[in-house]
Amino acid sequence: MAITITPPRPAAILDPSYPPEGEGDNDDDYFDPDGDLQMAGRPTKRAKTTSIVTPGETITEDPQWMRGHGTYNPPNNTKILATVAGTLTTTNKLLSIRPLRARYAPEIGDLVIGRITEVQTTRYLVSLSSPLLSPLPLSAINLPGNILRKRTATDSLNIRTYLSENDLVAAEVQTLHADGSAGLHTRSTRYGKLRNGVFLRVSGTQGGVARGRRQVFELGDGVDVYLGVNGFVFVAQRLHGRSASASAGSAVAEVAATTYSSQNSHIPPATRWEIARVAGVIRALIESGVRVDEEMVRRGYEVSLEEDMVGGDKEGVGYLGGEKGRRIVRRVVGG
Amino acid sequence: MCHRRVVESNQNPDFPNQYLPQREQRQHRGDERANSSPAATMPPPLTHPLFSPPELSYTHTSLLLQPPIRPDARTPTQFRPIIAETNILPGTNGSARICFPDGNEAVVGVKAEVERSAGVIGSLLRKGGRGEGGGGDDNEEEGRKGVGENAWVELTIEIPGLRDDDALPVFLAAMLNEALLASGDLVDRLWINQRWHWKLYIDILLLSPPLSYPIPLLSLTTHLALLSARLPRLISEADEDPLFDNDWEASIHLYPRHNKSSEPTPSKPTATKPKPREQPPVTLLVTVVGENIFFDPSLEEIAVADLLLAVSISETIDDSEPPPEPKPTTTKPPRNIRLLSLRTIDPPARLTPPGVPDALNTAVTQAETPKNKAATTDADVDYSGVWVPPKGGSKRKLIGRIIQMVIEHGGVGEEVLEGLEGVDVG
Repeated sequence: MAITITPPRPAAILDPSYPPEGEGDNDDDYFDPDGDLQMAGRPTKRAKTTSIVTPGETITEDPQWMRGHGTYNPPNNTKILATVAGTLTTTNKLLSIRPLRARYAPEIGDLVIGRITEVQTTRYLVSLSSPLLSPLPLSAINLPGNILRKRTATDSLNIRTYLSENDLVAAEVQTLHADGSAGLHTRSTRYGKLRNGVFLRVSGTQGGVARGRRQVFELGDGVDVYLGVNGFVFVAQRLHGRSASASAGSAVAEVAATTYSSQNSHIPPATRWEIARVAGVIRALIESGVRVDEEMVRRGYEVSLEEDMVGGDKEGVGYLGGEKGRRIVRRVVGG
Repeated sequence: MCHRRVVESNQNPDFPNQYLPQREQRQHRGDERANSSPAATMPPPLTHPLFSPPELSYTHTSLLLQPPIRPDARTPTQFRPIIAETNILPGTNGSARICFPDGNEAVVGVKAEVERSAGVIGSLLRKGGRGEGGGGDDNEEEGRKGVGENAWVELTIEIPGLRDDDALPVFLAAMLNEALLASGDLVDRLWINQRWHWKLYIDILLLSPPLSYPIPLLSLTTHLALLSARLPRLISEADEDPLFDNDWEASIHLYPRHNKSSEPTPSKPTATKPKPREQPPVTLLVTVVGENIFFDPSLEEIAVADLLLAVSISETIDDSEPPPEPKPTTTKPPRNIRLLSLRTIDPPARLTPPGVPDALNTAVTQAETPKNKAATTDADVDYSGVWVPPKGGSKRKLIGRIIQMVIEHGGVGEEVLEGLEGVDVG
């Protein structure tokens, strides 16, 4: 069957164990706008439903609440309004809203993947899906040839031969500017221009990429996964120089020599299927709103291999969306 | 009989801004940005389908393989799973909503309004002899053939972030409208009497910014909305001012149903030979990469396509001749699928920046090449794995193959229509 058309699923009914863990397992975790404490003799416990507030919505006029993230208090008023769309959470008397989707807020040391959107005389501007474009100065990239040398005027004339618009780069956040934009650098062989693979975008705060021990890891048969903390993901053929077994000196030199190449290496079909499988797993995780990190991707990859073993897909991987994707995610989350 | 209109558009007037490379886009928007604040560091909207040359090359070479590897590992004729529902808008005659898993979502509402026809004389003159899209065989039975006018159907598309006079919505609306009016069957059904007709407003709203070329989404949603559309039953006589039954239960479907078992028609023996019923059209998007044909392309696939084709089909159900004796085999009877229109869409791949081969890239040091001289002629340069934007068109034979894949028995068209039949249209 080429096409599957299903009716929409009914709105999810949250299980009573919501929220899953952490913040406030006290009973009045939901927000009760009517008043203070729960009345003792309340006949029925209100069902815990997540309601979504929208920007501008009045959450409460009661002065006992304090405003937290995602809320606003107009002057000369005790009202608290929502400024983002999301779910309301309360911590004691603090009201805050967890947004449904948010842009990335950079932090120093994050591995991010970005797309060059603008090339200026001495720097690139990189889109990280953060509120502002992030500068990547020419002085913060490894120039080809010898790694430590002075930047000359020739280098700034050649700025477009290293990176140009639309190129994908893996970089690290080096500094944070006052306006919230991030200064990036790529001064390591781990970072730099990305090729030989596919790009995915993960968004939302419910799922999204979680900061983990490692953001770049090897998976399966010759696949490298780059999980950018900003929600950009790149799945590529393994770079030879990256593996630990390779002799350090020559490997680094080889990687350094091809850092700014925009020509893909030869990628055998088997590796392409693997890349498609990993990308499919990540997409399935995103669609189900599950966090994406090394552990989840690894587990999802193994589950998808098992599924194919059982299902006996004749050719390659098969589409990991829809019902099959949900099944995989259920197994991943279920452990 | 089918209408084939292949129109090759060389410029890109019909392609949305975001499919242009960055630099051109700046120019397009320059005037708007000029007087705004110097928002130099504001990022572009997240939906920009921009791809770097290595990404384009990767997708392209994967799709060229035999068998091809699509970025999401679908088979070439496989569609992404769709979520669909109908009758969601209470104030309309018919409505539908479709969601794609990537979050693309469209809502269509169909409203009908009684309108006075332009003139009795004009309508009389037109009667019987229009045949503009009617397939030639006019003056059949009943004077209703060819009485409709194309202006009786108005279709508008709203896409967030785009103005209603932008190229993309206008072009999409024209393409959907063309398929809808191709047979003239729909507008004929809007005819009430000499002086009155229904005016049909089809409003299409794309709820998300277009993540990929949205024609299949919009067309499938419109199909379902039209199938679910009902018109009140006429109770006045021939040329009187129209008066309608205010019982909504008695309303009739805009596209008549198969009155077999679903709706027990009250005591009205349908002994009269039922006319063949034409179903609303469906437009499918097809891309070609090399010799491989792909249905329901994703954004990455569209970005590297050699050819982008919108194929409109519709089905005619003929109740008069009973289906042939059900054979013991499980094969379903072939559907009567007609090709309505065929349009090429300018593929965005032509406007993408080409990749630079390593041999010509001064930023790549070639230590390992034996001859360390720079490649001087083009023949020396290794172009494998380098993105080269496609040039030229596609072979006629390939287009023939696409048409066959769509309309043949057991082909993609049948599967899509079968899937759409599974949706409860009320």
